[in-house]
Amino acid sequence: MEHISKRFGDFYANRDINLSVAKGEVHTLLGENGAGKSTLMNILIGLYQPTEGKIFLNGKEERIESPSQAVKLGIGMVHQHFMLVEAMTVFENIILGDRNVKGLFIDRAARRREIEALAEKYGLDVELDKLITEISVGAQQRVEILKALYHGAELLILDEPSAALTDIEVEGLFAIMQKLVSEGKSIIFISHKMREVLHISDRITILRAGEVVTTVRCSETSGPALANLMIGRELAPSHYEKVEKPEGEAFCLKGIEYNKTSKHNGLAGVTLTVGRGEIVGVAGVDGNGQTQLAQIVTGVLTPEAGELDLKEKKVAVFSPSGFIDDGVSMIPEDRNLQGLIGNMTVADNLVLKETGDPRFSSGSGFRLKKGAIELYAHEMAEKYDIRCASIDQEVRNLSGGNQQKVILARELESNPDLLVAVHPTRGLDIGATRFIHDCMIEAREKGVGILLISADFDEILEMSDRIVVIFEGQLMGEFPGKNPPIDEISLAMTGK
Amino acid sequence: MSFAANLILASVRMAVPLLFIALAELYSERAGMVNIGLEGLAAIGSLVGFLVCFITGSAWLGILAGAVAALAVNMIYAFATVTLCANQIVYGMAINIFAPALASFIYRVYFGSGSELSQITLMSGIGIPGLKDIPFLGDLLFNQTPMVYLAYLLVIVTVIYFGKTRSGLNFKSVGEHPKAAATLGIPVIRVKYIACMLCGALAGIGGAYLTTCYANTYTEGNVAGRGFIALAAVIFGRWTGGGILLACLFFGFCDALQIRLQVANFGLPYQFFQMIPYIATVVVLSLIGSKKAGPRAGGQPYRREER
Amino acid sequence: MTKFKRALTSFVVPLLSILLAFIIGAVIMAVLGKNPFKALQYLGVGAFGSAANFGTTLTKATPLIFTALCACFAYRCGVFNLGGEGQFIMGSIVACLIALKSGLTGFPAILVCLLAGAAAGGIWGLIPGILKVTRGQNEMIISIMLNYVATLFMGVIYTSWLRDANVPQTPSIPDAAKLPRVFHSMRFTYALVIAVAVGLILYYYLFWTSNGFKLRAVGYNMTASRFNGFPVKRYILASFIVSGAVAGLGGSAELLGTQFRLINGFAAGYGFDGVAMALIGQLHPIASMVVAVFFAALRTGSTTMQAATGVPTSVSDIIQALVIVFTVAGMALVKLPEFEAFRLKLSGGKKKEAKKA
Repeated sequence: MEHISKRFGDFYANRDINLSVAKGEVHTLLGENGAGKSTLMNILIGLYQPTEGKIFLNGKEERIESPSQAVKLGIGMVHQHFMLVEAMTVFENIILGDRNVKGLFIDRAARRREIEALAEKYGLDVELDKLITEISVGAQQRVEILKALYHGAELLILDEPSAALTDIEVEGLFAIMQKLVSEGKSIIFISHKMREVLHISDRITILRAGEVVTTVRCSETSGPALANLMIGRELAPSHYEKVEKPEGEAFCLKGIEYNKTSKHNGLAGVTLTVGRGEIVGVAGVDGNGQTQLAQIVTGVLTPEAGELDLKEKKVAVFSPSGFIDDGVSMIPEDRNLQGLIGNMTVADNLVLKETGDPRFSSGSGFRLKKGAIELYAHEMAEKYDIRCASIDQEVRNLSGGNQQKVILARELESNPDLLVAVHPTRGLDIGATRFIHDCMIEAREKGVGILLISADFDEILEMSDRIVVIFEGQLMGEFPGKNPPIDEISLAMTGK
Repeated sequence: MSFAANLILASVRMAVPLLFIALAELYSERAGMVNIGLEGLAAIGSLVGFLVCFITGSAWLGILAGAVAALAVNMIYAFATVTLCANQIVYGMAINIFAPALASFIYRVYFGSGSELSQITLMSGIGIPGLKDIPFLGDLLFNQTPMVYLAYLLVIVTVIYFGKTRSGLNFKSVGEHPKAAATLGIPVIRVKYIACMLCGALAGIGGAYLTTCYANTYTEGNVAGRGFIALAAVIFGRWTGGGILLACLFFGFCDALQIRLQVANFGLPYQFFQMIPYIATVVVLSLIGSKKAGPRAGGQPYRREER
Repeated sequence: MTKFKRALTSFVVPLLSILLAFIIGAVIMAVLGKNPFKALQYLGVGAFGSAANFGTTLTKATPLIFTALCACFAYRCGVFNLGGEGQFIMGSIVACLIALKSGLTGFPAILVCLLAGAAAGGIWGLIPGILKVTRGQNEMIISIMLNYVATLFMGVIYTSWLRDANVPQTPSIPDAAKLPRVFHSMRFTYALVIAVAVGLILYYYLFWTSNGFKLRAVGYNMTASRFNGFPVKRYILASFIVSGAVAGLGGSAELLGTQFRLINGFAAGYGFDGVAMALIGQLHPIASMVVAVFFAALRTGSTTMQAATGVPTSVSDIIQALVIVFTVAGMALVKLPEFEAFRLKLSGGKKKEAKKA
C-alpha cells in the first residue's frame, strides 16, 4: 500500500532520510536513543514539518500538515508514552476527536458496535467501560491500537511498544501485529531491543545520528551485525570487575510492605541486603514497585510494615533529611522533578544540600560564601565533565546528560555510605552513560553500597555484583553478577 | 409568605450571578485554563452592563454589552496565557487588578466623581401564565426575571454538552491531556481560546446581572468576592454542571440568610452576618479534603512542539 | 541565560511596560481632550516636585511596601498569599485596640502596638497556611475570603465596638502613641524606616542565608526540595506566618503613623496592589520596594494632575493596571523558546551549545 520515500535535511534531527514501507510489511526502525527515530515519525504524523523532502502515500505526493490530516490519510501512531485521557473510559478515549461521524450527540450504541467489531477482527481484547486508570499497561496499549484502527489507520506506527510490557504481553502484541499485517495493514515498528526486532521484522532500517545507515532484510542479517550497524563501533564487553564478598552491611530491608495490594505501585514483603562496596542491581520492567523501593530506601516514603536497617541500626523515623544525614544519596527517577531545582543555577544545585556547611557559609548558614561556592562549582564541573555555558546558568537549560552529571557530582561528593541510583543513564548517550558508570564503580571502590534500579537490562548486567529481580512488588530471586544466568533472570522478570 | 419560603426564593435569586460566573470558570477550567480573574471580569461586566442600560434603557442590551466587554478583557488573559504561556494564576491576578481599575475609570469619566449614584430601572420579571399561580413553586420556578431562567437553562445545556456531545468530549480532553487531543486532531489552541471567550462572556453576564437585575446602581466592589466564591463553587461542585448548581445554591442561601439575619437583628453588629458567605466558603473548602480533582492538565501552559 | 543577561531582562521588561503604559495613558488623556505632556508634568511635580510632595509620596508608599514585601516573600516560597489585605487590617485592628485601650504611651506603646500588629497578621496568615499544610487546601481562595472577613470585622470595630460618638470611625489614637516623623518638613514617619528595614532584612535572608536559599528552592520545586531533605511543610508555614506578620506590621504602622483611626476604606486595595508590585518587581524585595514608591508617586501625583489639568485620577489607576498587565505578559514572552530563537537570529549569533536534549 504505502511507498513512502522521505528525504529531508534537518541539521539536527534527521538528515537526508529515505524510507519506504511496503503494504503488509512490518518495517522496523532501529537505532539508539537520539538517533532521530521519533522525529522522523513525528513528521509522518503531522506534528512536525520536514525542512526538506517529500512524502508519498500510495504513490501520491502528500503534505501532512497536521495530525488530523495524518489521521485522515490513514496514518496512526501508538506513542511510547500513551496519549490516553486517564479520567475517561476506554470507549471515550477511542471515539475522541472522531471526524467521520455526523451529528451533535454521541450515538453510543452504534459506536460500540463498530468498535467491538474491530476488536473482534484483530483480536484486541478491551473493556470499553473501564477508566484508563483501572486497566493494565498492556490493555492500555491495546486501546491505543484499537483507537488508531478505529480512526481508519492503514499504516500503524508503534513507538517502543514493548518498553513497559512483560514478556507475555509482548508475545500478545506480536500476535496482534501479525494479525494486522495479514489483514493488509502496514506497521512501522520502532525499537532498540534486538531480540524483538529479529523476531518480528520483515525489513529493518537502521538510523544513526539522524541518518540512515542502511536498510536490510531481517532474514539476511543477525544480532551482532545489527548492533554494529547501530552503534558504529565495537561495543566492548562489560569490563568492570565484579565483587564477590562485600565487607559489612550498608543497609538491610526486612519484609518491607507498602501499598501491598497494588501490583504496580507497591511492595509486598521485600527483604534485601546491600553490602558496603557492592552494587546490587534490581532488574525488572518499570512499574513493579521500583519507585516505591527507591523512595523507601531514601526515606521519602514510610513503609507500612517491615523494618529497615541503615548501617546495622534500625531506622525509627523515615524522613529524607534523616537519611541524608545518615549518608544516603540518591540519583532519582525523574531528575527534573525530584532531583534538580530547574530554575536555580548549576552552582546552586551542586551545593543544594550543603549550604549550611562551613565550607559554604559562615555562622552555620548565616552568610553564604558566594565566592567559595563558585570556586567549588568550577571544580565540580571540571571533575565531572559538566558541560554548560557557565555555572551561573539555570540548570534546566542543560542537556539531560549534563543534568545527570550535576546530580551525580552532588550526590557522590557528600561521601555517602549508600547510593540509590534509579535508571541513572536513561535517555543518555553512550559517552555520558560510560562516564556515569565509571563514577559509580569508583564510588564502589571507595566502599559505597549501591542499589541500582534500572529497566535497562544491559545496564544491570554490566554493573551489578548481585542481581535481584522485582516483579509486582516482590523480589523474585537473587543471581550472581558474574556470569549471570540471563535466561533465568528474564524468566524471573515475567513472574515465573 | 413564610420566612422559609422567602428564604428559598431569595437563595435561588442570589445564586444566579454566582451560577453564571461559576459556569464561566467551568468552561475555562475544562479546557485547562484556570482563570482567577473572574472577580475583575464580573466587575467590568457589571459596569458596562450598568452603563449601557443607563444609556439605552434596556437591561437586555446592558447584559449583552457586559458580556462583550468582559469577553474582550478576557482575551488579554487568553493571549497572555495561551500564546505567551504566562502563568495563569499570576495573570488572573493581573486581570483582577486591571479590570476593576478600567471599570472604575469608565465610571468616573462618564458619571463624574459626584457622590450621587445614578440609577436605572431593573429588568422586570416574566411570569409564565398559568404555571406561576401555583403556590410557592409557581413563584419559585415560573415567576422570575428571564435571567434566572437563563441561568438554570445554562446548567442543563452545560450538563448535556459535556456529557453527551462529541464536541463536549473533545473539549474536555483539552483540559485533561492536550497532547493526546492534539494527536487526534483536536485544535487545542482554538478550543482554549473559545473557552476563554465563553468564560469572559458568562462572567460578564454574571456581573451585569448584579447591576441590571439585582441592584439598580453601580458601586465599586459590588461583586463582593463572588468571583472567588465562584472558584470555590467549581471545586465544591466537582467540575460538573449539576454539582456547581448545588454549590451556588448553597452559597446563595448563605447570602440570602445573612441579609435576613441582619434585618432580624439579633443584637450582633450586622457585619458578622455579612461574613457568613465568606466563612462558609472557607469551611466548605476545608472540609472537602485534598483529593486532587479537576482537569488533569489544568493550569499548565500548552506548548506546541513545532520546529 | 547567564546571570547578567537574566538581570538585564528582569530590568528591561518592567521598564518597557511602564513606558508603554504611560504612552497609552497619554493617549487616553489626549482623547479626553487634555494635553498629555502638561498632565504628565504635573504628575511628576505632584509626586516629587517639593519636599512636602515627596514626603507625601513616601508616606503613601509605606503601606504598599509592606504588602508588596508580604506578597513577595510568600510567593518566593511558592505560596499564593493573597490575604495581605486581611493580615494588614488585623494588624491595624490590634494596634488600634491597644493604642486606645491599654493606657500605654510613648515608645513602649508604639513597640507593643507594632509587635502585636505583626503577631495578629502572622496569626491571620497562619489560617490558610495550616489548611494548606494539613489538608492540601488551595490557599488562594481561603486567604481572599479572610480578607473580606477582616474588612467586615474592622467594620464592626469602627461602627459599634470602638465607635467615636456618631461618626462611623474609631476615635483617633492618642498623640503619645503616634509614630513620629523623621523630618519635620516631610510627612513620612519612622514607619517608612521600618518598612525599608524589613525589606532589607528579607532581601538578606532570601539571598544570603542558607535558610533563605532553601526557602527559594521550595518555592521553585517542592518535590525536589522534599527529596533533598528540606522540611517543606515547615517552610511553607513559616512563609505564611512571616508574610502575614509583615503585612500586619504594616497595618499597625499605618495606623500609628498616618491614619490614626480606623474608618471605612482603610487599607482598601493595598493587598492586591502589593501583589501587583511584587510581580512587577520580579519578586525581588528591593525591586518591589522601588516599584511601591513608583506606584505611590503615581497616586500622589495624580491628585495634583487632576487639580491642575482636570485629568481624572483614575487615569493613573489605569496606568498602574496596564503596567502589571504588560510586565507579566512581557516576562512570559521573553521566556518563550520562540523568543529566544528570534533574539539569536537578530544577533546573528551561533546557537548555544548547552540546549535541552
